[in-house]
Amino acid sequence: MPSEHSLETGLRLGEVDQDGAILETLERVQGDTRTGFLRNATIGGAALLGALALPGAGRAQSAKDVDILNYALSLEYLQAAFYTEAEQVRALRGRARRAVEVVGAVERAHVKAFQDALGAAAIARPTFNFRGVTENQRQFLKTAVAFEDLAVAAYKGQAPRLVSNALLAVAVSIHSVEARHAAWMRYLFDITPAANAFDEPLSRQEVTKIVASTNFIAAPGRTERKGTPRFTG
Amino acid sequence: MRIALVAGAVAVLLLALVAVRFTSSSTAAAEQEDASLPAPSRPAFVIPKPEGLAGEGAPSRWTTVARPVSVREAADPAAAVVASLSPRTPEDTTNVVLVEGSAMDDAGRLWIAVRVPALPQNVTGWVPRSALGANSFVRTRLVVDLEALSATLLRGGRPIFEAEIGIGAPAFPTPTGEFYVRSKLRSLSPFYGPLAFGTSARSAVLTDWPDGGFIGVHGTDRPELLPGRVSHGCIRMRNEDILELGRLMPVGTPVTIR
Repeated sequence: MPSEHSLETGLRLGEVDQDGAILETLERVQGDTRTGFLRNATIGGAALLGALALPGAGRAQSAKDVDILNYALSLEYLQAAFYTEAEQVRALRGRARRAVEVVGAVERAHVKAFQDALGAAAIARPTFNFRGVTENQRQFLKTAVAFEDLAVAAYKGQAPRLVSNALLAVAVSIHSVEARHAAWMRYLFDITPAANAFDEPLSRQEVTKIVASTNFIAAPGRTERKGTPRFTG
Repeated sequence: MRIALVAGAVAVLLLALVAVRFTSSSTAAAEQEDASLPAPSRPAFVIPKPEGLAGEGAPSRWTTVARPVSVREAADPAAAVVASLSPRTPEDTTNVVLVEGSAMDDAGRLWIAVRVPALPQNVTGWVPRSALGANSFVRTRLVVDLEALSATLLRGGRPIFEAEIGIGAPAFPTPTGEFYVRSKLRSLSPFYGPLAFGTSARSAVLTDWPDGGFIGVHGTDRPELLPGRVSHGCIRMRNEDILELGRLMPVGTPVTIR
C-alpha cells in the first residue's frame, strides 16, 4: 500500500520554478511583500476591498488579505491546470477519469472566483509542465493526493490569518471542498481517505518547498514575435 | 388487576407530562442559545457553478521542444532516427510539435509521437517525454483547399473563417498533407503583409531556400493576384484576412492542405 504521507514521499525536491510566478506569490504572503506589488494589489483589488467595506484602520491588513487570496489563486491555478490537462490528454481510465472531470470543473470555478474577486490584482496564470504525470494513472493519482492534501493544509494555514470574516467564510467553504477532493483522490489511490483525527496546517515555506519540488512550473514558450519572415513566399 | 391497570395508566401519564415539559424546556434553551450566537458570516463572494470543458471531442495537443532531441521511428531509444528537433525555430521562436500519441517503453519511460517539421512531408516519430515542455490544447483546424483556392478555419468542427488564397505556382507546388502552425510573426516586410504564420510544412523543391524553405500563411502586397497559383509555395491571403485569421488561429493549430 502506498504511503499515507504523500506530502513527504510523493514529490521529490529539485530545482525551483523557472518563471517564478507562483513561488513569488507564495513567498510574498509571509510578509516580505514588495512595495510595487502591494500598491498594485491595493489599487487593483479595489473592488474586493470596497466590497469588504473594511474600516480605514484595516486597510493595510486588507491588502494582506489580497495577498493571501493571490496565494490561494496560485494553488488553484496549479490544481485546475493539472486536472484540466488530465481530462484533455484522456489517458486516465475508470473512476479516475470521471473524478478528473468533476474536480477539474470545481478547481476552474475556484480560479474564476478568485480572478473575479481580485480583478487587476490577480496574479497571471503560470505555465505548467506536468512532465507526463497526467498520462500515467498511478502517477497522476499519487500527485493528485499530494496536491489536494497540500491545498487543504495551505487553506488551513492561512484562513486564521484573514482579517475579513467574509473572506474567512469563503476560505472555509473552499477548504471543506478541497478536503472532499483529498478524500476522493485518496480513495481512488487506495489509501485511507480520512486517517487522522486532527489535520495540521502547512506554513507558506512548507507549501513553497513542495510546489518547487515538483518542477511543474515551467518557463512559457515564446511562439510569437516581430520579425521578417523567411518563408518561401 | 384493575388497580394495576390504573396505576400503569397514571405512570404513563406522568411520564408523558415529564417528557413534554423536558422537551419544551430544551427547545427554549436551544432558542435562547441560538439567540446568543452570531449569524453565519456572509461570504465575500460566491464560487460560480462548476462547468465542464467547452467543446466536444478531443482537442489537438501541442507542446514545446525543451532540448535538442532525435526523433525515432519507434518508442525505443535504439530505434532508427528519422529527424532531429531543436528548441528554436529558424524564426527564433520556441519550437513546437503536434502530439499524435504516447506510449510507455519497457523501461517505463514515456514516449510521445510527434509530427515532424521536416522532409519528407507527413513524417511522424517518437521522442522521450522528458525532451518536451508544457502541453497546450487547441480546438481549431485550418483546412487549405488547393483546388478551390480557399482557406477555412474550423473551431470545434465548425467553420468560423474563410478566405480566398494564393498558392504555389506549378513550378513551386504547395505541399499537401497534415501539418501545424508553429509560429506567429508580426511581419516587418510588406511582401509578407502585416502577419505571417509559420507552419511545419516545407517546400519539396525549394530545399536550398534560406532557413529550410518552410511554408507560411501570410498577407501580401499584391492582393490583385488573389486567388491564384502565384506563390513559391506559401499560402497568401489579403491583409485584412490574415489579420482576422491572426485573431482566431492560435499557434499549434493543425493544418490540412489538400
